[in-house]
Amino acid sequence: MDKKTKILVVEDEEILLTALTEELNQEGFEVVGAKDGIEGVEKASQEKPNLILLDLVMPRLDGIGALKQMKENSTTKDIPVVILTNLSDYDKISDALSLGAMDYLVKANYRLEELIQKIKTVLERKETGAGPAAPPPPPASK
Amino acid sequence: MFSGTTSYIYIALAIYTVIVIIFIWWENRVMKTNLLAKESEMQRRMYEVSVLKELGERIGYSLNVQKIVDVITGSLRRLLPYSTVSYLLFGEDGRVIFHCILEDSVNKDFVLTVKNRMIEALGALAGQKISLDNLDESISGTITDETNKQQIKSFFNVPVVINNRPMGLLNVASTSAGLYKEDEMTILYTIMNQASTAVSKLENILNQEKGKLNSMVESMADGVFMVDTRNRLLVINPAAKNMLGISKVQPTIFDVLDALASKFDLRTKIEQSINQDKLMVEEQLQVGTKVLRILISPVKDVQNEALGAVVLFHDITKEKAIEKMREDFTSMMVHELRSPLTGIKSIANLLREEKIKNEQKKYQEFIELIVSNSASMLDLVNDLLDVAKLEAGKFQVVKKDTDIKKVIETKIQSFQALANEKKLGLASKIVGELPIIQADENKIGQVLNNLLSNAIKFTQQGKIIIAGFVLQKGEDLMQKAMSAGMIWPGIKEGVKFEADQLIVGVMDTGVGIKEEEISKLFNKFTQLEQSAASEKKGTGLGLVITKGIVEAHNGKVGIFSKEGQGTAFYFALPLNHEDKIQKTN
Repeated sequence: MDKKTKILVVEDEEILLTALTEELNQEGFEVVGAKDGIEGVEKASQEKPNLILLDLVMPRLDGIGALKQMKENSTTKDIPVVILTNLSDYDKISDALSLGAMDYLVKANYRLEELIQKIKTVLERKETGAGPAAPPPPPASK
Repeated sequence: MFSGTTSYIYIALAIYTVIVIIFIWWENRVMKTNLLAKESEMQRRMYEVSVLKELGERIGYSLNVQKIVDVITGSLRRLLPYSTVSYLLFGEDGRVIFHCILEDSVNKDFVLTVKNRMIEALGALAGQKISLDNLDESISGTITDETNKQQIKSFFNVPVVINNRPMGLLNVASTSAGLYKEDEMTILYTIMNQASTAVSKLENILNQEKGKLNSMVESMADGVFMVDTRNRLLVINPAAKNMLGISKVQPTIFDVLDALASKFDLRTKIEQSINQDKLMVEEQLQVGTKVLRILISPVKDVQNEALGAVVLFHDITKEKAIEKMREDFTSMMVHELRSPLTGIKSIANLLREEKIKNEQKKYQEFIELIVSNSASMLDLVNDLLDVAKLEAGKFQVVKKDTDIKKVIETKIQSFQALANEKKLGLASKIVGELPIIQADENKIGQVLNNLLSNAIKFTQQGKIIIAGFVLQKGEDLMQKAMSAGMIWPGIKEGVKFEADQLIVGVMDTGVGIKEEEISKLFNKFTQLEQSAASEKKGTGLGLVITKGIVEAHNGKVGIFSKEGQGTAFYFALPLNHEDKIQKTN
C-alpha cells in the first residue's frame, strides 16, 4: 500500500480517543477522530476511511444508530466497522453484528497488538469478501 | 227369736259391709293399677334417657349424618316395636342413600312399598323430585320371606333436619295395626332432635372456622388456590385470579391451566407434588406484566392421606425490577470507571516512550488528560461512597452554629468565575435576617455546590439566583417568595410549606426539566444511567446526595421546573427553638 490506511475512530471519551489516535498513528495508520455518532456519520462520508472503530454508548447518537446510518448511505455502507464496547453487552454486540459490523473489541483492558490484529484481519476479510465475526457467547447465567 | 226390725238392721249392716269391702277392693285395685302404670312410665322414661345418653356418646362429634342415623336405628328396637326400620338420606354428589333393616322376615313388596312411600315423602319435604337413578340401595337384618303375605299396617316417617336443611327421613313400619300414634312417637322426635341439634351446632362451629380461613385466604396479597387429588379447583382467591388474569367468578382448573399454558406445566407440577409429597418451587415466571414465584405444596389430612395441593403465587415483579436496576447500576458504574481508566492506562503507556518527550505540546496535553480524568473518577468514587453511606444510614452530619448567609455568599464567590465564563449572572437575595442555625456547614456547602453547578451546567443564558428567607407562622409562602425575588417556574397552586423553616432556593433560567423526568432526579439508578449517555460531565449523583444531606438535617428538598423556562431547586430546614432565640437576640 502506497497510501496510508485511514481509520475513523468514533469515541466520546476524550482520553480514549486521544490514546487510540496516538497509538494508531504510531502503528502507521492515518487517524480521524469523531466525538459522537452524528460527527462519526459525517466524517465517515467525508473522509471515506478504510475502517471505522465505533463506540456504542455515546451522547446525541449512539453507536447502533450511527451504524444504521452508515449502512444506509451508499458511500459508507461498504466501509468495515469494528465495534468498540465497554459494556460486554451481548445483545448490543449481536445487534451491531447483525447490522453489518465486522467485529468487536471490548475496549477496557484492550491490548494494542490485539487491536492491530483485529484491524488487519478485518481489512483482509473485507478484501476476500468473508462475512463478519461470530457473535460473542451468551453471558453465563447466574 | 229375732224381731223383724232387728233382722232388717242385720241385713242393712251386711249390705253396707259388702259395699265397703267392694269399695275398698276396687279402690285398692285402681291404686295398684295406677302405681304399676306410673312405675312402667318411670321405667320407660329411664330407658329413653339411657338410650339418649348412649346415642349422644356414640354420635360424638360426627358430622356424618348417615353414621348418626345408623347409630339411632341400631338402638331403636329397645324403644319401639317395628318390622322394618329404614332411612333415606341425601348423600354426596347428588346421590340418595336408601337403607332398610329387617327385624321381621317381611316380603320384598313390603320393603319396596316402604321405599316408594319414603321417596315420595322426602320429595315433598325437600321440595324436589328424588331421581331413582341416583339411588344407592341396601338391605340388612333378617332375610326377606315371600311366603309372608303380611302387608304394612303401621307406618311412620320422622324427618332428619340439620340447620333447617332437610337431609332425609327415618321410617318405622310394622305388620301390626294401630301402632305409631303421633303422641307415642315423641321419643323418636326427641332422638332425632337431639342428634340434629348436635350436628347443627358442630356444623355452625365448623362453618365459623371455615369462614375465618376463607376470609384470610380471600384477603391475602399472595395468590392462592387449592385442588383436590382429582385436579378439581376447590378454592381460588381474588389475588390469584387477578395475577392470572382470570375474570370468571367461578373458574375451573382449566381456566387456571389455560392462563399459564405454554409457559408452565402446572398440572404436571401439581401431580409431582402430590405423588412425591414434596414442595415444588418455580423461582420466577413471567405472566403478563408480572413476575411470579410459584410454590406448590401437597396437602394431607391428619391420617396423612393426600387431599390435594395448594398453589401459591407470590408477586416478585418489584423485587425483580430492583434487582435489574441494581445490576444495571453496577455495570454502568463499572463502565463509568473503566472507560477513563483504560484511557489513563493507554496515555500513561504512551508517555513512557522517549520520543513523546520531544513533543512538548502533546506531552503536556497527555499529562492534563490524566489529571482531569483521575479527578473525575475520584469525584465519582467520592459520590458513590456518599450514596453508599446515605443508604447504609451511616451518613454523619456534624451540627454546629452555621451562618447560612455566609455560606451562600462564599459559594457565590467561588462559582462566579464559572458563571462569568458562560456569561451568566449570579447573585444572592436574602430577605431579612437569616438565623444562625444548627447545621453541618461543610455538608450544606456541598448541597449548594451541587445545586449551583447543575444550574450553571444547564443554563445557556440569563441568570442564577440563590434566595434565602425564613417562613414564619402565618406568613404566606408565595408572597414571601415573591418578595425574595424567587421565581418558581411551573409551581402549582396550593403548594404548602410548614411554618418556621429556613428556605433556600437556587433558581436558573435554563433548559428546565420535563415533568416526567423530575421524579427520576433523586434516584441514583436512573441518574447514573442518564449521565452515561449525556454529553454533560458529572456523575448525576449530586442530587441524590443533596437530598440525603438535607434529610439528615430533618429538612426537605424540592423542585419546581418548566421546560424552556428554568428550574428552581430549594431546600427547607426546620428551625428549632434555640435558632429562634438566637434570632431575636
